[in-house]
Amino acid sequence: MTKPTDLVQGTLDLLILKTIAPEPMHGWAIAQRIRRVSNNVLQVNQGALYPALHRLEQQAWIQSKWGESENNRRAKYYSLTKAGQKYLQAEESNWERLSSAIGLVLKAI
Amino acid sequence: MRRIQNIANWLRSLFRRNTVEKELGSELRFHIERQVEENIAAGMTEQDARRAAEREFGGVEQVKEECRDTRRVNYVENLIKDTRYGVRMLCKSPSFTFFAVAVLALGIAANSAIFSIADAVLIRPLPYADADRLVIIWEDASAYGFPKDTPAPGNFSDWKLRNQVFDDVAATGFGGSFNLTGQGLPEKLTGREVTANLFSVLGVTPELGRDFRPEDDIPGATPVTILSHSLWLRQFGGDSQILGKQISLNYEKCIVVGVMKRGFQFPDRETEVWTPERFTKEELANHGSHFLEVVARLKPGVSLKVANVDLAVIAQQLEKEHPDSNSKVGAFAVPLREEFAGDTRTAILMLVGAVCFVLLIACANVANLLLSRATGRRREMAMRLALGATRGRIVQQMLTESILLAILAGVAGLLLSVWGTRFLATLIPAGIAPLTGTGVDGRVLLFTLAVTLATGILFGIIPASRVSQFHLTPSLKQGGGQSGVGSGGQRLRDALVISEVALAIVLLAGGALMIRSLQNLYHLDPGFRAEHVLVMHTPLPDQKYKNLTQRSAFYDRVLANVETLPGVVAAGYTTWIPLTNAGGAMGVTLEGKPEPAPGQALIPNVRIISKNYAAALGMKLIEGRLLEQGDGFGKPLVALINQTMAKNYWPGENPVGKRFKSGRYSEKSPWISVVGIVGDIHQAGLDLPARAEMYFPYQQQDDGFSPEYLAVRASGDPMALAEIVRQQVWAVDKEQPVAKVMPLEDLVDENLSSRRMQASLLSGFAGLALLLVTLGIYAVLSFAVTQRTQEIGVRVAMGAQPRDVLRMIFAQGFKLFLIGAAIGLAAALALSRALVHLLFGVSAYDPASFASVMALLAAVAFLACYVPARRATRVDPLIALRYE
Repeated sequence: MTKPTDLVQGTLDLLILKTIAPEPMHGWAIAQRIRRVSNNVLQVNQGALYPALHRLEQQAWIQSKWGESENNRRAKYYSLTKAGQKYLQAEESNWERLSSAIGLVLKAI
Repeated sequence: MRRIQNIANWLRSLFRRNTVEKELGSELRFHIERQVEENIAAGMTEQDARRAAEREFGGVEQVKEECRDTRRVNYVENLIKDTRYGVRMLCKSPSFTFFAVAVLALGIAANSAIFSIADAVLIRPLPYADADRLVIIWEDASAYGFPKDTPAPGNFSDWKLRNQVFDDVAATGFGGSFNLTGQGLPEKLTGREVTANLFSVLGVTPELGRDFRPEDDIPGATPVTILSHSLWLRQFGGDSQILGKQISLNYEKCIVVGVMKRGFQFPDRETEVWTPERFTKEELANHGSHFLEVVARLKPGVSLKVANVDLAVIAQQLEKEHPDSNSKVGAFAVPLREEFAGDTRTAILMLVGAVCFVLLIACANVANLLLSRATGRRREMAMRLALGATRGRIVQQMLTESILLAILAGVAGLLLSVWGTRFLATLIPAGIAPLTGTGVDGRVLLFTLAVTLATGILFGIIPASRVSQFHLTPSLKQGGGQSGVGSGGQRLRDALVISEVALAIVLLAGGALMIRSLQNLYHLDPGFRAEHVLVMHTPLPDQKYKNLTQRSAFYDRVLANVETLPGVVAAGYTTWIPLTNAGGAMGVTLEGKPEPAPGQALIPNVRIISKNYAAALGMKLIEGRLLEQGDGFGKPLVALINQTMAKNYWPGENPVGKRFKSGRYSEKSPWISVVGIVGDIHQAGLDLPARAEMYFPYQQQDDGFSPEYLAVRASGDPMALAEIVRQQVWAVDKEQPVAKVMPLEDLVDENLSSRRMQASLLSGFAGLALLLVTLGIYAVLSFAVTQRTQEIGVRVAMGAQPRDVLRMIFAQGFKLFLIGAAIGLAAALALSRALVHLLFGVSAYDPASFASVMALLAAVAFLACYVPARRATRVDPLIALRYE
């Protein structure tokens, strides 16, 4: 059994991992991308984003590097580690299984 | 891989804290700046853009804190902060720190030192393979006064053949002296004749060469020997070609076949050479002469209890088969370690208990000090609580401080115990010390660390938990903390002092009983006067001195030479000087009395002596005469007997003139007349009762034992004669080894040394406890006086006399003392029973000892009360009332 907060936190982790999978990104861009891609449905709160990034980095799913940003400033870019890529795959299939299961239940009743 | 990265990240957060913090700051700043740009691009003014971005972001500090939390280094950082703070606090009150560290260091040092002893004697494995399966087997001849007798070869061989419980059984002969000649000065070595299987029973193999083989151990086999590592190095320079060489042991050429490993020893440290027993068939059938030490290895899974049942069954069979020699002779096995540890086991357990008590008292003392400090720091703690610190954090901080104190004390204590262990090593029985090694090593370090941490938590937890319990508002409202301590705190402090007093009484009572025992032993008449007596050991090798004439000639000439030396009062030879051999006995039959039934044989100790031995030793003549010149070879056989023999063998009669013979009636041996009765000598130990004992002149005893020890009574310092007496021996036989040259007083001292050590240690710990308790009572009362200054001021202002104030403070102090004393007395009475084995001539409930302990502690308590009470009488009401 997962508690709702765990689900939310886990979901945010999944979103972050998926978002930075193609290329390294800084925190602001990650928030922007999630919002844009989800058609403004998912608003990532900064207060949750940065602790999540730091936690994922501490757990070594992602790594960070300082680099030049699009507006010529120094920004911290996050990218997946090897372990993070595997973790993302596992989490994605987990998510799909879970959401399709939920979908089945919702349709059946 | 991920794990490693994980740890690396964690370490980076911990040690590159500043960098990580800076990065966190710029990361969040970048986010906001980027948002500002975005907002401006969307058409806001710069001011609005920034405000909107900041609003959207929320509390920067909060986000930062949450990010920090994810790094999981908070508790480490807190620990570092607490430690830094703790160090500052300790530095701020150096006298408190010094006192607490000193008190705890003494307690910890005592524990570490005693642990290292207990470890060596009781815990550490012996250096034999599967040593816990090794046992020593003894004969139980209690019926004859030898409850733990050295087994006879016949019994050994029957045990070996018939038992069902041992892998194998081996034996060593009675510790023998071997003369190593032909290698410079004649050297006397201690050696053992052993059965060929001894080393395999012990599970050891020689480092060089081979073990004994069964064919070495039969009569007529080529003499072979195995050397100890130390002898090999000392006498043969570690010669790697030693194997196969011949050495001369007791004038017999032996081939060296092996050298043992460094540090191997059995059965004691002195033994340096081993040769096969080469028992004959007749010897292996002898159930009557008891001189072996038997070691056996239990089969795997066989318990000691089962082995003892098996031995008892065999002993019963032997009783039936050999009623003459084996009636009422049992057999039992003792684990090897227990055998080695011997009597010291109880003493060491007692000391372990004592040092625990000392440490508990030290903890109580420091806890008390911390409690008073905690009271002073109430406002600080209240402030922290008010500012949002959790109670857990406060307890953590207080505990950090106390563990810091404990660690300081642990380091100091360890240094102290390094020194103390060296001093304590004398407590370890000589047989076991080098076997297991002593001193401060990893095990002691680990133990000290554990004790230190436990100590820190023990004395820290009470004040810490109290601080975290108090209510905020009253603490903040209070002024300078004058009446700051709640009744709960006072009760706790009282309880600590009471338990200190109680613990100290237990220790003091134990110390007092041990001292009384030691005094009793010193005042005991040992039956001889040890002062001014020089002793040396000159055992004559059988191969060289083959008969009585040769031996007598040696004794006659040496004694004649020595007695004419200036400064010599008397000189005599004996088989065993007192305190060197508990046994050495012989069966006798008394004339005119019925032959004793099996199991009731009369077996007194026997000593073969020269005529002036009694004078040299200062023995007392009770009745009849001592030996004379006329009691020579071919003259009627005579004997001196001791009082115990007179009383037990001829009850109600005068034994002088009575006759007895050695062995049974039927034997052809001649009758021996009792010519004198001498006082009892404590042969086996000062604390052991004398056995029946008889003395024969050496000229009249051809078989059995021959004298080995020379005793010389000097008019002055006996050791001043040592060299010249030794020269007289060598003047008679220049190859004769001379060993154990020492004053007889040394033997007496040595006999009492472990008791003296136990008594002085226990008293030392008791003294330490006394000191700590004094300080404890003093501290509590001083604190109480400070706390009650205002109250005392009011009382004085209302007309109380100094006497009343004095009485009030004393009442407070003595109430604690009396409660503690009552509890302590009850505990001491209950615990002193455990000391019974260590006491001598004093009851475990000795009223005099207990009374003196109470008096001593009462006097000390009085002093500890007096100083603060005096201070209380000097309270000036004006100042006291203005104080608040």
